[in-house]
Amino acid sequence: MLILTRKIGEGIILGDDIRIAVLEIRGKQIRIGIEAPPNVVVLREEIYQRIQEENLQAAGVRDVDLKEIANLWKTKKANDPGSTENPD
Amino acid sequence: MTPDPQKTPTEPVSVTITSKHFGDITVREEQIITFSPGLLGFSELHRYVLIEHGQDSPFLWLQCVDKADLAFVVIDPIFVLPDYQIGPINGVHKELDVQNLRDLKVLVILTIPPGRPQDMTANLMGPLLINLANRRGKQLVLESSPYSHKHPVLPAKG
Repeated sequence: MLILTRKIGEGIILGDDIRIAVLEIRGKQIRIGIEAPPNVVVLREEIYQRIQEENLQAAGVRDVDLKEIANLWKTKKANDPGSTENPD
Repeated sequence: MTPDPQKTPTEPVSVTITSKHFGDITVREEQIITFSPGLLGFSELHRYVLIEHGQDSPFLWLQCVDKADLAFVVIDPIFVLPDYQIGPINGVHKELDVQNLRDLKVLVILTIPPGRPQDMTANLMGPLLINLANRRGKQLVLESSPYSHKHPVLPAKG
């Protein structure tokens, strides 16, 4: 890992179009500003990991029987007359 | 399959996927949805197709074109949470080049625990947005939303 020391207001450039700046330090918290093009995903690490992990779990589904899921769905619909779905 | 020498350039290009769940499926190029960047955790995989499960079923498969054994079960979130809203997404409109809001399709990915389909959950925190007009898609992450990445789809037993 590259390690740099920065003061408040100073920045770091990644590539040609990403800038990260240290804005404020309050006790143990640091406010960071990030400028990046819209196609660059910028997320807090723990949120990124949560969604990534969920995607991996969802993709890990093996031999899902969608018929079984569809049947579970029909049961839910039958037991849930207050549902907002279109009656059919 | 051998290439057809009779094929003219004006014919629509089609791709055959040997999928895990459906065997060989042939899709026309204009059916392919491009996610760029790819889904989180699958950033190198961009091309997917949506396959309907059946008329009475709200579930869809999102099958990866370039990785046969990668497919997600997805659903329109209205079936999971009728008042689901992804919030302001102006930047995404631009990114997906949305001209008409009606072209915008929102889907959420289901996680189905092995052997316990009744415990399936929907990832309402990481919805998929697809512009049906140009087939461009993106997975959003609703960082400051009240939605869970593991929202129960079916009511708990009991």
